[in-house]
Amino acid sequence: MGKIVSIHSFRGGTGKSNTTANIASLVAMEGKRVGVVDTDIQSPGIHVLFGLNEESMGHTLNEFLRNECSIGDVALQIGENVGNEPGRKKLKDKYLWLIPSSINLREITDILKNSYDPNILNAGLQTLIKEKELDYLFIDTHPGLNEETLLSITISDILIIILRPDQQDFQGTAVTVDIARALDVPNMVLAVNKALSRYDPDQIREEIEKTYDVKVAGVMPLTEDLVENQSKDIFSLREPDHPWSKAVKEIAETIIEFD
Amino acid sequence: MSGLFDRLQNEIEGREKEDGISPLDLAELSAPLRKIIRLMLREVELSFDRLWEALSGTEDGEQMSKDELGKMLETLAKQGWLISRGEKDRASYKVNLRRKPGSSLAQGIWSALDDKIEKREKADPKADGDE
Repeated sequence: MGKIVSIHSFRGGTGKSNTTANIASLVAMEGKRVGVVDTDIQSPGIHVLFGLNEESMGHTLNEFLRNECSIGDVALQIGENVGNEPGRKKLKDKYLWLIPSSINLREITDILKNSYDPNILNAGLQTLIKEKELDYLFIDTHPGLNEETLLSITISDILIIILRPDQQDFQGTAVTVDIARALDVPNMVLAVNKALSRYDPDQIREEIEKTYDVKVAGVMPLTEDLVENQSKDIFSLREPDHPWSKAVKEIAETIIEFD
Repeated sequence: MSGLFDRLQNEIEGREKEDGISPLDLAELSAPLRKIIRLMLREVELSFDRLWEALSGTEDGEQMSKDELGKMLETLAKQGWLISRGEKDRASYKVNLRRKPGSSLAQGIWSALDDKIEKREKADPKADGDE
């Protein structure tokens, strides 16, 4: 059975969606069959990294949750829609599917107003793994802890918690680690993002591992190059030798090693 | 009856009947019960035999008979946490996740927002996706 990998952060702005898109792409580049689900229904964004907008994304997770289409209808094969960006072009013919959430204002307010049945979401995720014969299903979650994020953590084989070297993130991450332990998540790693370049990444890794007793899978540096990319492309495929890309590759390798 | 079965049965019966289980409830369950629920979530629907097979060979499985497992699943279904189909060895089970209630914001706020969106959509059908 394919593995579910949830990517979570306690606070917003950690670079969760960007990191998720990059890890998933790198895993797909290794020949794995990969799905990415945007369960951040309130503030979706990962579709941008795959070059999609409202018109090109087709069916959405919102429609599936309202029983208006199947989960297979929503799954969009990125390898068939790579566009011209140099990073994404490398995903051509790779097995990578995106299940986007709607960016239509009415659809977002509809979910906020009426909520949805979590049984449908769970069944959809499991169906997707079977139908697409996925090796990995990455779940991009909404920041913070709520019922949806707890469900995704519960069903995960691997949980990646992204944090910045920041006191607010440190405290929030401690809460998430405790919850994940209470829910018996089989594998958990931390990924540090936006680390200042004047600090030694090995020292950051060592201190964080000691604090949480959880493996740090990668320390990604704060870089203007990534900001300059403006989420237009998959940065680690566009600039594979960049320190940020190398750190993300290390995380992707850790995920694959959990086999 | 085995010690484990008694303990789990007491745990389930000690809770009030609910409209389903929430992920928050899962964190409070004992490890064997959580394992059962998690396995069902991953498989979506699980037959009694498949569940018994999955528990066999584990420490929890060795402490429970087939009859005891059946009774425990029945109690979980009565509790509202599982949905069962069929009977005894032929039964299959699904987790019944509790539906999260919708927004508690005053209805007037949503109506006002709906009106605004509708007006915008009429004025420019493509507008809101470009936010």
